[in-house]
Amino acid sequence: MVNQYAEDYTLAELMCIEAARLLPREGVAFLGLGLPVLSGTLARCLYAPEIQLCTEVGAFDWRPDPPTVPRAPIGIHDLLLNDGAAMVSDMVDALGTVLMGGHVAFAFLTGAQIDKYGNVNTLVLGEYGRPQRRLAGTGGNTEISCLAPQVFVLMPQEPRRWTERVDFITSPGYIDGPGARRRAGLAPQGPNCVISTMGVYRYDTPDGGETGSCELVLEAVFPHIDAETIRALVPWDLKVAEPLREVAPPTPTELAMLRRLDPFQYYLTPGRY
Amino acid sequence: MPPTKLMSLEEAVDRFVADGDTVYAGYLVVPFALTHEIVRQGKRNLEVVGASVVWPATELALGGCCRRIRSGYIQGALRPGPVQEMMERGEIQYEDYSNQAIALMLMAGALGIPFIPTRSFLGTDYLHLEHAEYPGRIPGYRRHAVMTSPFDGQRVVLLPAIRPDVVIMHAQRADAEGNVHSWGHQGDARWGLWAGRKVIVTVEEIVPTDVIRSDPSRTIVAGFQVSAVVHCPFGAHPGGLAGYYDFDYLFLERVLSPALASREGFARFRAEWIDGVHSREEYLARVRETIGPEMFARILAEPGRTPLAPPNYGYSRTLNLPKVQGETPW
Repeated sequence: MVNQYAEDYTLAELMCIEAARLLPREGVAFLGLGLPVLSGTLARCLYAPEIQLCTEVGAFDWRPDPPTVPRAPIGIHDLLLNDGAAMVSDMVDALGTVLMGGHVAFAFLTGAQIDKYGNVNTLVLGEYGRPQRRLAGTGGNTEISCLAPQVFVLMPQEPRRWTERVDFITSPGYIDGPGARRRAGLAPQGPNCVISTMGVYRYDTPDGGETGSCELVLEAVFPHIDAETIRALVPWDLKVAEPLREVAPPTPTELAMLRRLDPFQYYLTPGRY
Repeated sequence: MPPTKLMSLEEAVDRFVADGDTVYAGYLVVPFALTHEIVRQGKRNLEVVGASVVWPATELALGGCCRRIRSGYIQGALRPGPVQEMMERGEIQYEDYSNQAIALMLMAGALGIPFIPTRSFLGTDYLHLEHAEYPGRIPGYRRHAVMTSPFDGQRVVLLPAIRPDVVIMHAQRADAEGNVHSWGHQGDARWGLWAGRKVIVTVEEIVPTDVIRSDPSRTIVAGFQVSAVVHCPFGAHPGGLAGYYDFDYLFLERVLSPALASREGFARFRAEWIDGVHSREEYLARVRETIGPEMFARILAEPGRTPLAPPNYGYSRTLNLPKVQGETPW
C-alpha cells in the first residue's frame, strides 16, 4: 500500500502547503513579498486555479501553467510575472485602483512580528527612532493590511516573531480589540487566518472586528505538535479552539509541486524565511 | 527635426544632476549605471525618493552622495549595515512611508496638485510619526495629515506631493527625441517620470522615432518631458529588464550585497567597479570574467516572447461624416 502522506518534510514546507489548502478558491488574490509568493503559486497550481494572482508592482492575473512553470516568482519583481498575465501595469493601478478601489478578495502576506490582535510589523525592532534593528521595510504590506477584506498571514512559530504587542504596527489587524478598525476609519476585515510552522490560527471575531475578543485563536496543530507546546512559545494567554483540528501532513503531490516551485531553495532554505 | 537628447552617461549626470537635488530612482528596473555615474562624479547632499529604493539609496549613501531618503522600502533583503547606522545617528534623514504612499505622492507631483488622500496608514503607528522626535527626522517636514472628507465623512490621510528635481531611470528603448518605450510591470516609474523636473533615461537600444511612433501606447514618457537619453546596454545590471536580462543573483550575492554591508566593502567595490571602470563595456567585461560567461549567459531573456497578434493602430482615411451645412446650432 502506498502511503497517503509524505514523511520527509519540514515544518516550513507544511506551513506553505497548509496555507495553500486554506486559501479561498476564487477572487483577486494579492501576494506579498516572501513566502506567500511560493505558497500562493502552489495554491494556484494545485487547488485554486480560478484565483487571480496579483502583485503590487503591476502584474494582474498571472497564470502559472502547472506542468511548465519553471519556478514560483523570485520575489514580486520576477520578470516571469509578465509572461501570461492578463494585464501588466503599475503600482498606482495595483495598490490604488485594484486594492483601494475594492477589487481584491483576499491578501496573502508575511512580516517580521505579529501580535495577539494580528497586527504585523515589517519596519523596525525596538523603539522607532533608536531601533535595535531596522527591518526590510513595509513596501505594500501596510495598505494591503488596511484595505484587503481578508488577510492570510504566514508567520514562522519563532518566539522572536510572536509578541503581545508588535513594536510598531505597520500593518493593522484588529489593532487593540473590538471596534478599533472602525474607530481608525478602516473597513471590517475577515475571516482572517494565520498559518505558522506549527499551527493554524483564526480570530475570535464573528463580524470583522466589532465584537468578540478579536484575538488569535489556535484552530489546528501540525502533526506531532500539541497546543501546550505552541502556548509555551506565545507570550500571552493564547486561546485554543475546541475541538482542535489536526493538520494533515503533506501529500507526495503537494510536496513535489512545492519543491518544484522552489528549485533554488530560495524560499525554503532554513533560517532564510 | 527636434534637437537630439542623446548624450553620454557622463554628460547627462554632469548637466542634470546637481548637488542637493531630490532624485527619483526607479527600482523594478534599477538604474545602476546612472547610480554609479552619480557616485563617480561625487554629487553631494542628494535626497533619494521612490517606493522601493534599496539599491540606489544604499549605494548613494555609502558613496557619500545622499543626505535624505523618503521611501516605503529602504533596507530590503540587505543586512543592517552602515546605512542603518547613518540613519540612527541622523547623518541621513529619513521618512518611512509605504509603496502606495510614495506612488501616490509622485502621482500628485505629476498632476501638479499639492497633496493626495489615501485610505492607507489608518490604524497604524505611522500616524504617530508626525510628532515623533528622532535623530533622522527631517526638520520641519509635515509628513502627512489626517482629515475627514468634506464630501462623505470618510477618514483619510493626506500625503504631500513629491516633485523630484531629477529622475534617473533605465528602460528598453528610446528615440533621440527622448520618447521612451517601456514594457513589463512598472512599479512607480510612470509617476516618477512625469513628476520630475529633469529626466535622464538610459536605454538598451536607441531606435528611429518611427519605431516608437508605430506603437505609441507603449510610450511611458514623451520626449518633451525628457532631458537626456543615454545609450547604455545592461544599464540596469545587476538588476533585470523585461525582454533583455534577469537579475544577476550570483553577482548580487558574490559582489554587491557583501560590498554594501560595510564602508570598507563599499570602498573596495567603488574602486573596482565604479571608479576603476571607464565605460559600461569595461564593467560588463569584468562582470563576465567575475561570474564566468556561462553564468552570465543564464540571466539573458529567452527570445520570441512577442505579442501573438500585434495591435493595429489603423484608422479610416475616408470617414462618412456628412458635410456640415447650416449655422452653428447655438
